Amino acid sequence: MNVNGNGIITEKLSSFHLSVLVFMTQFGVVIFALPQMLSKTFGTNGWVMLPAYGIMVILNLLLVGAVYRLGNGRSIFAILEQAIPRVLLMPLYLFLVAVWAMLGCLVAKQYVLIFQMIAFPTTNPMLFKLVMDMLLIWLMLKGLYNISKAATLFFWFSVWMILLVFFFYGEFKFSRLTPFILKGGEGGLRDYVGIFAAFLGYELSILTFQYTDAKTKFLRSTIYGSLLTTVFYTYICFVAFGFFSFQQLNKMLYPILDLMAFIRFPFIERLENLFYGFFLFTVLLTVVMYLWSAKEACQRIVPKIKEGVLAPAIVLTAYVMAFFPETLSEVQAWLQVFSELECIIAMGLPMLLLLVLGLTRKKASGT
Amino acid sequence: MTSAQEITPPMLARTLHEFEDCCDLVHRVMPGHGIDLLYFGNLISGDRLNRDLLSLIETSDQEQLDRFFRQSQFVRMTDSKELVLGILAGHAAFFYKGAAYTVDVAGDEGRSVTPSEVETTITGPHDAFTEQASVSLAMIRKRIKSPHLKVIRLSVGEVTKADVFVLYIKDIANMDYVNELKKRIADIEVDAVLDTNMLIQLIDDNAYALFPQMLTSERPDAIASKLVAGRVVGMMDGSPTAFSIPASFVEFFSSSDDYYMRWLIGSSTRILRFIALFITVIFTALYVSVTTYHYEMIPQNLILTLAESRSRVPFPPVYEALIMELTIELLREAGARLPSKIGQTIGIVGGIVIGQAAVQAGLTSNILIIAVASSTIASFVIPNYTMSASIRLIRFGLILLAGLWGNMGLAMGLAAVIIHLCGMTSFGSSYVTPLAPNQPAEWKDVFIRAPFSKLKYRPTQQRTKNRLRSQMKR
Repeated sequence: MNVNGNGIITEKLSSFHLSVLVFMTQFGVVIFALPQMLSKTFGTNGWVMLPAYGIMVILNLLLVGAVYRLGNGRSIFAILEQAIPRVLLMPLYLFLVAVWAMLGCLVAKQYVLIFQMIAFPTTNPMLFKLVMDMLLIWLMLKGLYNISKAATLFFWFSVWMILLVFFFYGEFKFSRLTPFILKGGEGGLRDYVGIFAAFLGYELSILTFQYTDAKTKFLRSTIYGSLLTTVFYTYICFVAFGFFSFQQLNKMLYPILDLMAFIRFPFIERLENLFYGFFLFTVLLTVVMYLWSAKEACQRIVPKIKEGVLAPAIVLTAYVMAFFPETLSEVQAWLQVFSELECIIAMGLPMLLLLVLGLTRKKASGT
Repeated sequence: MTSAQEITPPMLARTLHEFEDCCDLVHRVMPGHGIDLLYFGNLISGDRLNRDLLSLIETSDQEQLDRFFRQSQFVRMTDSKELVLGILAGHAAFFYKGAAYTVDVAGDEGRSVTPSEVETTITGPHDAFTEQASVSLAMIRKRIKSPHLKVIRLSVGEVTKADVFVLYIKDIANMDYVNELKKRIADIEVDAVLDTNMLIQLIDDNAYALFPQMLTSERPDAIASKLVAGRVVGMMDGSPTAFSIPASFVEFFSSSDDYYMRWLIGSSTRILRFIALFITVIFTALYVSVTTYHYEMIPQNLILTLAESRSRVPFPPVYEALIMELTIELLREAGARLPSKIGQTIGIVGGIVIGQAAVQAGLTSNILIIAVASSTIASFVIPNYTMSASIRLIRFGLILLAGLWGNMGLAMGLAAVIIHLCGMTSFGSSYVTPLAPNQPAEWKDVFIRAPFSKLKYRPTQQRTKNRLRSQMKR
């Protein structure tokens, strides 16, 4: 137990917290469109590709785990700054801040635009985003440990929705899955990456090193978190493929929203917008993790500026940027670009760090 | 000539000077024995003074008196400040042969032990703490017959100097909590602390937080169970409420009754309380959200009833709901302040006005009445009054948000509450444990009340070194 000067006990992330944090950062609004993306890209039974994506995520996490082990759990910024002069690192930091802040802001904008589409066609979506951003600043300033606590609570408050899938068992037909596997897909490389974007979020675990200790079991916990995402995605998409026909899926924009509209209780029905409202919890977590990461990187650029100023400044800049893509399709186009950049970061950053660690080791052993 | 003789005459004069214009101070002079006696007539027990001291003094000669004052019940004073404090605490001060002595003859007049009106239970003991800390402490001592139960006395209030007691069980409680509590109490700088509920606001982690960060109770059995579980307890003279630290959000949803009933019944009651929490927080807000923005969520056969009920109401649902919620709060507050006999009248008048007249006048719909009434009733299911009041306050915010942005507003409001809860701590420990940090093994004493044979360990929040409660036979 570590007690700081104020008598407040500072704790490290537990294994469960880290898994949930990874899951909550990964899981997001993309699930609503995922079955359609899969059927368009891969064709019939596109859901079978999801475990393959899951494996790619695990491979990438192994790289992150290697950095964790070789760097002895030091922060990635410390590892980089040990070997490379700070001036040379500035462009990299700026790039990271820009991509992370924009991704966070676009995910939030996408969420509010979809909500506007289904329930509030006349309200200005930027007004929703303003309130959401205030919540985000509040959460960001509480620090990673409290963010992980919030992730755990949000997890329990939203995970029960997976039980709703039971409602579709009655209408589920194996014949709709068709005996063909991956036929009729028209996707190219960009579409493959677009689906991988649904899994993004795990790579931010690279920033949590200094909040962990041996008990956290970093690699195992992050892999468990990503596996949970893969299992949830696969399960939901499998049911969607057996509920809607292949042709239907190709035409629907958000199949899971339509799926949820089928749920009826004697006293309440058409629950999709209520459940979509609860999705705010997972979206908040995804966005806050991106913005928090941007803040961490930004703090390396301007170490003298206080956290209380930096967090609102980043959120405000991202808010202004969010005015530019106005429609959902514009937001999606921007998201595509930034997700592609994020994929490069996800793979490239651990590799760069491994290279730096390898070189510094060599240097140390040489002297 | 002793040094005490040099000090004492000014000490009597100084003490009398300190208590100038205090007509309740009694100054008795016994010239035959050379004794001056000072005490507050209302603070001491006249019986004890006459029977145990004065009757003996009057029949004693000089030699016997000398021996008498050497008894251990007489505490010799050298500091006039301490002497003054002693007299204020209900001691009698004797000035004899140049020395000053105090004897504790404090009277124990006070309210007798009665059942708690705030925390009633159906089964289990009915006695509750009283304003006298000595009586309350005795109730705890009678329940925990162990020399490991330690009681530390502190004092708060620059002017009022009320006694505060910190209780813990050695080897079970974590001394970090004990020391932190002592430190925080000692650091209080305020003129007066008049009640435990006031005291806990001066020592909590987050002064601006919405929820109570320390569990308060009037029930000795509940407090004894907290002590045995490894928590640290605070009590204050002059207040019938004790508090325990550290506290968690879910702890406020358990009651002593859960442990006295069979486990299945206790567990169902616990679950019922969490359902009540859910109802009280979102029911009215959901009504507002659905009837304002999301009519499609109402099934066809219900929509006619609802439309009919709402057709005569001239206000938007959010105003309708706020007016009704406000009326209920007014009734509750009036009922709480009025004497119980008149309070009943308020209940009847309120019932008729709300139940009948408001609907007939077309000011509100029947279904809203059901929503508001059920969420109010649900709020009273929460056993702790402070927590129940905090939760009722959140409801207003959620209704406003639901009126503004429907389900999105509701989700944003709930997210704000969750973020607020996650940032809260109770003496440095997480307020939302055992959810975060996640301790699923402890859920069996939080969301349900498992059979006693399954409740083998003390909660981790207490950070006790002695986690195993005991070996319980199956």
